[in-house]
Amino acid sequence: MRFSFKWLKSYVEIEANPKEIADRLTMVGLEVESVEPRYPHLKRVIPVKITRVNRHPKADRLMLCNVTDGTSTFQVVCGAPNVREGIVVPLALPGTELPNGIKVEEAIIRGEGSKGMLCSGKELALTDDASGLWILPETITLGIPLDEALGIDDFILDISVTPNRGDCLSVIGIAREVAAIYGTSVRYPDISLVEEGPPIESIARVDIEDPQKCPRYAARVIFDVEIRESPEWIRNRLESAGVRAINNIVDVTNYVMLEMGQPLHAFDYDRLADHRIIVKCAKAGDRFLTLDGQERILFDDSLMICDGREAVAIAGIMGGELSGIDFRTTRVLIESAWFDPITTRRTSKKLRLTTESSYRFERGIDPEGVIRALDRAAQLMKELGGGKISKGRIDVYPRPYQRKTIRLRVDRANKYLGTNLSTEEMASILSRLEMKVERREDGDLDVTPPSFRQDLTREVDLTEEVARIHGYDNVPLERPRVLMVDIEPNEHLQLRDALKEFLRGLGLREIITYSFISPSAISKLGFQDGDEKLRTVRLLNPLSEEQSVMRTSLVPSMLETLAFNLNRQSNCLRLFELSKIFIPKEGFLLPQEDFHLIVALVGKRHPKLLYSDEDVDYSDIKGIADAILSFFRITNISFQPLDKFETPYMDPASSADIICGESHIGRVGKLDIRVAERFDIKEPVWMLEFDYEKLFSLRGPIPKFRSLPKYPSVVRDIAMVVDESFQVQRGIDFINSIGETLLESVEIFDIFRSSQIGEGKKSIGYRLTYRSSERSLTDEEVNRIHEGIVKQMLEYFGAKLR
Amino acid sequence: MEQVADRREIEQVVNEALRELEEAKKDLKLIDALRVKYLGRKGLITNLFKQLGKVSPEKRPELGRLLNEARDTVERAIGSATERAKEAILTSKETIDVTTPGRIPIIGSLHPVTQVTQEIVRIFSQMGFEVVEGPEVELDYYNFEALNIPKDHPARDMQDTFYISEDVVLRTHTSPIQARIMEKRRPPIQIIAPGKTYRCDSDMTHTPMFHQVEGLMVGKDISFSHLKAVLTLFVHRMFGPQVGLRFRPSFFPFTEPSAEVDIQCVMCGGSGCKVCSYTGWLEILGSGMVDPAVFEKVGYDPEEVTGFAFGMGIERIAMLKWSIDDLRLFFENDVRFLEQFT
Repeated sequence: MRFSFKWLKSYVEIEANPKEIADRLTMVGLEVESVEPRYPHLKRVIPVKITRVNRHPKADRLMLCNVTDGTSTFQVVCGAPNVREGIVVPLALPGTELPNGIKVEEAIIRGEGSKGMLCSGKELALTDDASGLWILPETITLGIPLDEALGIDDFILDISVTPNRGDCLSVIGIAREVAAIYGTSVRYPDISLVEEGPPIESIARVDIEDPQKCPRYAARVIFDVEIRESPEWIRNRLESAGVRAINNIVDVTNYVMLEMGQPLHAFDYDRLADHRIIVKCAKAGDRFLTLDGQERILFDDSLMICDGREAVAIAGIMGGELSGIDFRTTRVLIESAWFDPITTRRTSKKLRLTTESSYRFERGIDPEGVIRALDRAAQLMKELGGGKISKGRIDVYPRPYQRKTIRLRVDRANKYLGTNLSTEEMASILSRLEMKVERREDGDLDVTPPSFRQDLTREVDLTEEVARIHGYDNVPLERPRVLMVDIEPNEHLQLRDALKEFLRGLGLREIITYSFISPSAISKLGFQDGDEKLRTVRLLNPLSEEQSVMRTSLVPSMLETLAFNLNRQSNCLRLFELSKIFIPKEGFLLPQEDFHLIVALVGKRHPKLLYSDEDVDYSDIKGIADAILSFFRITNISFQPLDKFETPYMDPASSADIICGESHIGRVGKLDIRVAERFDIKEPVWMLEFDYEKLFSLRGPIPKFRSLPKYPSVVRDIAMVVDESFQVQRGIDFINSIGETLLESVEIFDIFRSSQIGEGKKSIGYRLTYRSSERSLTDEEVNRIHEGIVKQMLEYFGAKLR
Repeated sequence: MEQVADRREIEQVVNEALRELEEAKKDLKLIDALRVKYLGRKGLITNLFKQLGKVSPEKRPELGRLLNEARDTVERAIGSATERAKEAILTSKETIDVTTPGRIPIIGSLHPVTQVTQEIVRIFSQMGFEVVEGPEVELDYYNFEALNIPKDHPARDMQDTFYISEDVVLRTHTSPIQARIMEKRRPPIQIIAPGKTYRCDSDMTHTPMFHQVEGLMVGKDISFSHLKAVLTLFVHRMFGPQVGLRFRPSFFPFTEPSAEVDIQCVMCGGSGCKVCSYTGWLEILGSGMVDPAVFEKVGYDPEEVTGFAFGMGIERIAMLKWSIDDLRLFFENDVRFLEQFT
């Protein structure tokens, strides 16, 4: 809501300056977003008197003028035809930016200095005259900003009005708040009408077919008006509120709406068939041409204003092209009505048509203000366009608004707010807001809000009004007494936070990407038609196709992030994301939301150049997988050859599925280079994915402490030559499966290939550690056990010792 | 009688030892070998001591004295040779270049949004709030209806909503968690709920996904002054006790009275700058007393219980905390941005 400060001041007596008013309004809930001068460009334009005019020595058409601002004299070059000595004209000083875009600078024009620019009225956007310098009255004060000198200095306040405060969408509405703040009262405009026209009943008729959607419809008719341009004062006020002036009749409807908050509509009386109005719903599919020249297709709940033949306006939203005011109009029917907020909003939404009028009806107008606004409009139209106002008015009001009286319990309100206000203080605040307040015998208050406050229907609404005007800052602070509550720890979240810290410790950087992605980004991963990853939750109204489906995988966003960084010369990337994926669930409205973890490594093993001679490889990403599994204390894990159908985007020769028991919990390995290319990545990408939900549910118990060993361990090695395809883990699994009680642990210490060993072969070195918790083992004893294990192993795998 | 070492012979051994030690220079290993050669179990001087038993008793004290002297001399010489050698090693040219870059263990980082969320959650947890979460794809009912925002209400314009279907939306705020929790439990309730939220808006100051933290305290006689105290404490913990704040009336359909909380601009200290649009104040959270209509929806009696709720945008707080001037940086995930929060 934009309005001029001077306009506001015409309704309420206040001394305070615009900035102060703005602060006070903000602190009662009407947030003032800006306070700007009405004519910012006039701040550096001053009236000056031309004291001398000489020809420019080097230019025939230019004059050298000496001008005075009352204290000093300076030279300005001017080419206007009406320049002469003795006149007072506006001078734009250097630094001024004129509304037409010209930037005034101190200049040297053909060798002569010019300290600014003398202006026409048009150049200052104050008059339409561009023929020459704007000659100002002789009596004007020289040297001060022109807006002050002309007495048109003003400020524009822009208020962000919350949806509950429809009553503040007018200058008088704001004036009421100002009056309440300062404890003064509003000067409402005087409305007095001379009714010289025929009785209204004899010339027009209104019927409401749907009183639910239109509880009140009032009208007046004016004959013999003359359509012309509105006077300056009204055009100026409209312009200050950002409304374009059109003609006197239309301008009045807009002016009264801005002044009183009641949207009005003016019909050309002679274009209303049968001179009657019927308020009723459209038929679905009906077409209607609105005054903006657009054809609209209506719905069966669109409320229409119709004449004896057809629709002439969409109720409360916009008039029709064919029934509006134009230069031929001589007789006007003014509509002032109260349309139901929900009906107006539904229609406005369905038609995607929001207007100043619909905006106000949606937020609730003053049902008792309908007549005042109608009379005010008739008064102003006669004032501006002449003519005769009909005798009386039509006021179809099938469902009169009932003011409601609400009891305010003083103690309850104080307890609710934490204040200690007296009954009188509360009564005073509410009275200032134009509420009718009566003291009850029990000390509470019976409060009747004014009809323009449609938002006040409950006791708590009054409590808020008390708090608002009393000032939130005047409510004391009091710390709540907290009860000891048995809070169940949110382990799922705690472990997520701990995991993030753990990954940070592993040298990984967290990223957060959008939950919605492009469907094509998922298809780039190479899923077969019908794969469940392609079944996504789709947005009905995405911002773009790029962000149109909820992701079923974290992979695309990770790859896009890698590409984004690689393109910016960040070549050593160690990233992770722990976020939700969204899987549609048959028979449920809401999808399954699961947290997934993704880790990706690209580039060198160490970011410092000096130490970065090695690229990351499978061992790095697998090491992170192993670390995460031990973080969750999950055992019973196997790394199995990748299922290519499940995971088409990984390179099957360098990737594995991670299985715990029967459950697939993740995958690790190298991204398929073809997929990488589709994301514009040329470097190898090592990637790890885990289903966090499974990690969480499979997490192991907190381990018990084990005593430290008292006796020394003895180690023995086996180096076994096997085929290249042999998985090294099998050796460990076999050794563990033997169940030797003195065997403490087994670890691979070497994987070795050479020509001596032979093509397609490798040697695996296993180191076995033996220990007894009861005594020191002897060499002989260990040798015997170890030889047994070696023998079994060679036999089982058909392998040779190296 | 066997020949027994005489003074000359002893001196010879000692001199030989001293010479060899001299020549050993800074070779610690050689010095140790010389110690073995002369003073070891089978060392030259040790062997001379074995002759003591063979000399006549009258010569014995004299010989003993000579041998003790010889041993002490050699021991001292070994001691000083060792010191000299160590000294020489330390001062030799074989020092490392102390300016060689360290092999820094690779250090990761948490996203600034995560860091601020954790900080906010920690502050409220310390005040006794419990952390809960809710779905991001949410029923229209919980996102709006249960919060007193019926369909066809202009308040729906306050949030541009992504729809999945007529009845399903991407949550536009973390507030639906309030309704879900209250539906399940009885007061007293003290919760804090962080999470992702979505609005159909993208420009310099809006991203279609962002993060919020919601808070709710419901119990007997919870008042607006409690709300003020809790949020004041929060602001002081988050931004420092010197930061001023104000509570400004506003409107949210699910609270009444409603209040926006502004803090003194952290950039200019309240004197006015670009960040605060020259107002000196920055809006950081919305709050209010839970509207009775919300209590009625979840089956609480508003005469029996009261409460307050609040919500704040995490990116906004992160931007203020680190003076970040572009919201979009949060979701580009440029590592040059992320590494600044290591």
